[in-house]
Amino acid sequence: MNIDEIFDNTSFTIDREAHIVLNYEICTGCDNRGCVNSCPARCYTWSQEEQKMTFVHDGCLECGTCYVVCHKNAFTRWRYPRGGFGVAYRMT
Amino acid sequence: MSKNYQAIVIGAGPAGSSAALTMARAGLDVALVERGSFPGEKNMFGGLLHRMPSLEKIFPDFWERAPLERHIIKKGVTFMTGDSSFSTTIEAGSFDKPPYNGYTVFRPRFDRWLAEEAVAAGATLITSSTVDQIVLKNGKIAGVTILGRSGQLNAPVLVAADGVLSFTALKAGLRKPTFDPAQMAVGVKALIDMPREMIDERFGLVRDQGFANEFVGCTEGVRGGGCFYTNYDSLSLGLVFHLASLRTSGKTPYDLLNAFMEQPQVAKMISGGRLLEYSAHLIPEGGYDMIPELVGDGIIVAGDAAAFCNATGLNLEGINLASHSGVVAGEAVIAAHRAGDFSKQGLTAYKKLLDESFVIKDLKQARNAPHMLHNNRIYHEYPEMMCNFMENIYKIEGIPKQNVTKLFLKSAREKVGLGNLLADGFSAWRSL
Ligand SMILES: Cc1cc2nc3c(=O)[nH]c(=O)nc-3n(C[C@H](O)[C@H](O)[C@H](O)COP(=O)(O)OP(=O)(O)OC[C@H]3O[C@@H](n4cnc5c(N)ncnc54)[C@H](O)[C@@H]3O)c2cc1C
Ligand code: SF4
Ligand code: SF4
Repeated sequence: MNIDEIFDNTSFTIDREAHIVLNYEICTGCDNRGCVNSCPARCYTWSQEEQKMTFVHDGCLECGTCYVVCHKNAFTRWRYPRGGFGVAYRMT
Repeated sequence: MSKNYQAIVIGAGPAGSSAALTMARAGLDVALVERGSFPGEKNMFGGLLHRMPSLEKIFPDFWERAPLERHIIKKGVTFMTGDSSFSTTIEAGSFDKPPYNGYTVFRPRFDRWLAEEAVAAGATLITSSTVDQIVLKNGKIAGVTILGRSGQLNAPVLVAADGVLSFTALKAGLRKPTFDPAQMAVGVKALIDMPREMIDERFGLVRDQGFANEFVGCTEGVRGGGCFYTNYDSLSLGLVFHLASLRTSGKTPYDLLNAFMEQPQVAKMISGGRLLEYSAHLIPEGGYDMIPELVGDGIIVAGDAAAFCNATGLNLEGINLASHSGVVAGEAVIAAHRAGDFSKQGLTAYKKLLDESFVIKDLKQARNAPHMLHNNRIYHEYPEMMCNFMENIYKIEGIPKQNVTKLFLKSAREKVGLGNLLADGFSAWRSL
């Protein structure tokens, strides 16, 4: 299966306001970056050339993995989306 | 919006709705607050609903009322390595007679139903509302603030049933500010559409019968496992990874899930199906040692928020523990209202009732097992050894056969090492 299809099947009501906000400076100096491979929704991308972390909250499944995996507490905010926003499972 | 209640339950999962239901039936004016636009919208699990002692007591017709899928009559375990696998299944006559041992359910349907039962009993359900801060008055808990429908709800007592990360327990100072990745796992799941007749035929099922299978050795060396369940007209296929192992593995959950779906034996199980939904959620797997402070002044912690998950056996149990702890939390709040005492002391009935129940008893009993599951050999070498051994037993190559014990020891020596085999056997025995 094409991996991109996996993500296309989940529904979201996207909030403009991000529920997770990172202090990217901490990520630049991070020795592990377990968030990049552990996030089940590909929200974290590390660019080796630019030495830069990018985080997109749009497809976040609100699973909580990054909150536990990040050992540097790089979050200036980590909370669930405002009521009514975010991932919307239909059956699962 | 500012309204007064006698109690506020945060989170309308199985724990929260069970708590609200219990309080509403006793006549308390209780608010059940959920961040999803309906209860269950945010929730996923494997999953199997096991026996629900506390809800079966409240609803003698629980199993007719609840929105269930298939009851499990056949259970299997598969040891997998690369493109080989070795499976065992048990199909017991007793599994096909009520009271059934387990059902597949969908969380968005089940959780919504249970919350509606709480509403029917008199609870006020407030959806699309993420609880943000705990409001204190004169140093005592007085309510919560809401994000979404902004405003404030007032009550002298809270039940934190907001799931595994429980920010409510954190803000009340009841859980530690950080989690240990060694005590957490993440599950990812693909829901696959398949016609009912095709499922019945493929897995040998009739009527509402269902099949459940667990997998070991399907996670490319990352500590974890796989699971497979049949619903009426869909299949659930999932993987679970321990976070301490996943974070250093460099592997991603979706690539591993994709590889799992493409493994030849799994591919045959799901072929002809269509992907419907992909989901992910944490599991508190630390067991008894992970339990936070359960009670504070004006607050009780229940369900996953209290790490009430038993992940040590071949079954993952969570909903039954959540629901039971929710009911007991409700009972403790009722007692506190009678006595007019919402202090930590006034709410301790919760701990006492839990200590006497299967929730704490089972978690205590399983205390040694998490260590066993952190043994990497279980996820890698043992499945390899099993497959290698079975492959050799069945091979007929026109050369003299080796004695079965010798074959087993050969596989064991090559794949695990005999010393390790003995040591692991001993710790498995000790954790039973
Ligand atoms: C992959 C996986 C497989 C599993 N398999 C099984 C299984 O087969 N059998 C089994 O019994 N258990 C299983 N479990 C465990 C089970 O799902 C949980 O133990 C159970 O859901 C816990 O119930 P709960 O009510 O405590 O928490 P949850 O079900 O997580 O409910 C918490 C609720 O609180 C809401 N919430 C959170 N924060 C806020 C806030 N700030 N404001 C308002 N609302 C909030 C959430 O939206 C949610 O509805 C599995 C779990 C996972 C992840
Ligand atoms: S683990 Fe934490 S600090 Fe490191 S890159 Fe990820 S979010 Fe940033
Ligand atoms: S909560 Fe889960 S899905 Fe969302 S960013 Fe963190 S790891 Fe990714």
